[in-house]
Parts: sequence; structure tokens; C-alpha cells
Amino acid sequence: MPPALQTIGLTRRFGNRTAVNEVSLTVPARSVYGFLGRNGAGKTTTLKLLLGLLRPDAGSAWIDGIDVGRDRLAAARRVGALLEAHGFYGHLSGRENLDLSRRLLRLPVAEIDRVLDITGLTPHGRRRVADYSLGMRQRLGLARAMLGAPPVLLLDEPTNGLDPEGIADMRHFLRELPERSGATVLVSSHLLGEIEQTATHIGILSHGRLVLEGELASLTAGLATTVCVETDQPELAANIAREHGFEVDRGEPALIARFAPGEDERRAAAALNRVLCAADIAVHALAPQKLSLEALYQSAAGMESAHV
Amino acid sequence: MSDQVAVASLPRARFSAALAVEAAKLRRSLALLLALVAPSLVAVFVFFNLLRVDKAQPWAVTLQTSAAIWAFFMLPMSVTALTALVASTEHGPRAWDHLRALPVPRWHLYAAKIIGVLTVVAGMSLALGLLTVGAIQLAAWLKPAIAPIGEPGLVEHAVLLLHIFAAAWLLVGLQLWIALRYSSFVPALAVGIGGTFFAVVATSARIGAVLPWQIPVNQLAADPDRANLALALGGIGGVLLMMVMLRSLSRREVV
Repeated sequence: MPPALQTIGLTRRFGNRTAVNEVSLTVPARSVYGFLGRNGAGKTTTLKLLLGLLRPDAGSAWIDGIDVGRDRLAAARRVGALLEAHGFYGHLSGRENLDLSRRLLRLPVAEIDRVLDITGLTPHGRRRVADYSLGMRQRLGLARAMLGAPPVLLLDEPTNGLDPEGIADMRHFLRELPERSGATVLVSSHLLGEIEQTATHIGILSHGRLVLEGELASLTAGLATTVCVETDQPELAANIAREHGFEVDRGEPALIARFAPGEDERRAAAALNRVLCAADIAVHALAPQKLSLEALYQSAAGMESAHV
Repeated sequence: MSDQVAVASLPRARFSAALAVEAAKLRRSLALLLALVAPSLVAVFVFFNLLRVDKAQPWAVTLQTSAAIWAFFMLPMSVTALTALVASTEHGPRAWDHLRALPVPRWHLYAAKIIGVLTVVAGMSLALGLLTVGAIQLAAWLKPAIAPIGEPGLVEHAVLLLHIFAAAWLLVGLQLWIALRYSSFVPALAVGIGGTFFAVVATSARIGAVLPWQIPVNQLAADPDRANLALALGGIGGVLLMMVMLRSLSRREVV
């Protein structure tokens, strides 16, 4: 089975500026792929290249095993997209907007009810889009992307403009989508927290380059784990811990102990606690720190920035 | 409700679908209002102009006056406004990315726009003929002394309007291309207003037979060679220009 999405050495320049620089990404089928990067990193340009809206200066883009450059129409039949510019006709209702795309795609009328139902817009389907909130437009864009149930969905910043409840709904929806419909979802975002809670795989784009890619669980497993240690004698505690071979930094107000990747964090924390207690230091908190995508992002994007 | 559907891949696009979608957009836009207002204004002018005189005129004179006003000024201005309006349907909400990413050949989208505009212009020409005849008859009913003389010659008038319409294809193609090419309506309006201006101030200029905004009015020229040249340039030139436009816009990136 080919990857749902793949780019090989994808490059696109605008004048002297290289917006996408030799990006080779692979999105496995039925995954939720978080495509991360700050604004201007090249995410939207990459999505436009995948959709055939822009032509690459070098490299190729593939959707479901189809080369977008060679057969855009066949590739486009396998993908639905929610783009930054929604392109809705404000004077038409949500249902009428969907109907225009449905007719172009030659799908049955029942498709409109199906996608409105999935996105919770059925009660608002007959309202003019001009009267929709930004969040409702975002959901309508998602509904339109799902017309015909394409096996691949490309979503550009889908949580933009959503309220906290809407963001939670979107997160829940995206997480369940591969299991419910077998679809593969690529979500571009600059919100690390959202991607961390949604994605199974990530790709980090920095200055047009893909600096990190992989399964999120494997990538975070490779990070050093940390434990926050609270004591009333932090200086002394840090010295004693170091004497016993622990890597410790002074945080405010607690100490941060780092354990090697793969090391059993509970066993290591217990050993540190024993050392401190034996030195008669009162430890009043020993809390493992959650491994965050932010650490991965900072590390990957930071390394790339150092090279630019 | 399940979000699974039977289709594994979307069906192939049909041009008729793009046409139907364009027609649906036109029906819900101000284009139809424009299509009614522009010929109505000419008919209203003809009506009051007839009431102003005391002597009856032949049908052919009044019908030609209507056709001349139409071809000379109202048609190029209406085409300028209509093409800008049709293009802004997509430019306004930034719909091109969505449309161009669909599994639909891009030329379908642009060709549907051409056919939509030509259909509206054809409708305007028909409305002009009907409204003008109605205006003449209403004026004659209100003031019997000015009832037109002779046979109406409606077939000849219909042929003249058809020639004016066919000669306007180059104008339609050019204005639509500019309107679709630039997201701002300013270039299309500037070119349309400028072209119409020169067509008005230099009516009898020799170059008028090849100036897109002046080609339609040349169908009223006394010299049949000039009228035929203008018709060939406007009609055949229009078709060729539209083909080049389809190719150019379909291949062009919308950044």
C-alpha cells in the first residue's frame, strides 16, 4: 500500500526566496499527520503543491500513489481540502455552497446531508454563509472537504477561529476520523498543543525545510525524561545528586533531574529520592514532567535556525 | 449517520456540471438585473425621444437608433460591468483555490464563464429588440401622430442585433480575460471605460473597425466591407482569443 501522501525533494521558489526546500515527507495511510511550523515556514505552499495549485521547481508530490504533476485530476479525486481561503459565496446558504461543489463533483444530493450531519451544521444549513461565525465557516469548509468521502484530507489550520468548545470538537473529530472512515488526515497548524493531542505522526517544517518527521510516540520516547524535585535545600540537594551521578539543573523554585532516554523513569526517581533522603534532605514533591511536543519542536526548529 | 459512502474515488468531471454551476451562480447574482437594466435604459430613451418629436418616422430609423446606442455605448459598458461582476464572484470570496483544486479540468471552469457571459449578452440583445419594439408601440399608442411608418422589418433588425452580438465576442473575450486575470476589478474597468471612451470620441476613425470596443457599432456602417471585416474580426478573433485565454488561465498559477 503506497503512503497516503508523499513528497520527494519538493522545492518551490518565489523569486529569490525558497519557500519549500527539498521537502521529502511521508504520510502513512490512516494516520493523522500534524504538519507543524511557524507562520511563513512553508506549510501552505506545501499544501498547494500537493493539491497541484502550484507547480514545483523540483521534486514531486504523490497522493495515494498518484503523481500530482503527471495526473492532477486523478490525484484530486482522492483528496479533499480545507484551505485558508474558504471561498464561500456569502449570499448563498451553507447548503447551496455545498451543492455547487457537489454538482461539480457529480455526487448524489444525499452527500450534502451526510457532511452537514458529520460537522453538526444541519440546523444551520439554510442560513446565509454571510451570517456564519468564523468557526461555522471552518466547519462548513470541513464539510465541503469531505464531500465524496475522499481517502485523504488536507486541512490547513482547521482550528483557526474556533472557540475552545469548537477546538475540542475538532480535536475529537480528527482523532476519530481514520478509524471511522479510513481517511488519512494531514493537519497543518502552528498550535503544538492541538497537534500533540490529535496527531499520530508529525512533520516539522522550519524555513521551508522538513527538519523532523516520524511517529509522535516514537519521537517523544527518544526524549530525555525529566522529574521536578521540590526540597527546602535545593542547592545542597543539587550538589548531592550530582555527586551520585544524576544530571540536575537548578529550576525555579524546584530542581529538574534529567534521565537518559529509555531509562525507567520511576526507578530513577526512586533512586534519586533515596539519595536525598539519606543525606537528610526533606523532599516534598517528586513529579515526573510530561514529555512535550514543544520540546521536540524547539529542539528541531532550533537546530535548523542555527544552520540558517 | 456513518460518514462512509460507497464511492472509493470521485467520478470524472463533466462540462455540463460546470455549466450548471455557473448558471446557478449567475441566477443568484446581480448579473440578471444588469441584463435587464441595460437594454431597458435604451428602450426608455427611445420611448421619450419619440414622444419629443411631432412627426412619424419609419420603423427602421427608430430601430436603428436603438441598435446604434446599444452597439456604440451601452454594449461595451455592459460587457465591462458584466465581466467584472462575473469574475468578482470568484475573486471576492477568494474561491479560485477551492475551485482549481477540485478534480475538474480548469478549462471547464473558465469556459463555463465564457458561455455564461455570452448567454447573458445574447439575452440582453434579445431584450433590447423586444423592449425597443414595445417602447415604439407604447409611444405610438400614447401619441398616434408618431406611429411608425412602413413595415417593422423585425427579421432584418434581429439579424442586425445578431451581427452586433457576434461582433462583440472579441470585446467579451478581452474584457473577461482581464477581469479573470486580475483579482482587482480596477484593471478591467479601466480598460473597458477607456476603450468605450475612445470608441465614442473617435467613432469614424479608420482603426475603429479593429478596436474591440468599436467593432460592434461597425455593423451599422454604410460600407458593407467595413461591416464584414469588423464582424469577422470580432467573431473569429473573439473565438481565437477565448481559446488562448482558456489555455493561459488554465495553466496559470493563482498565488
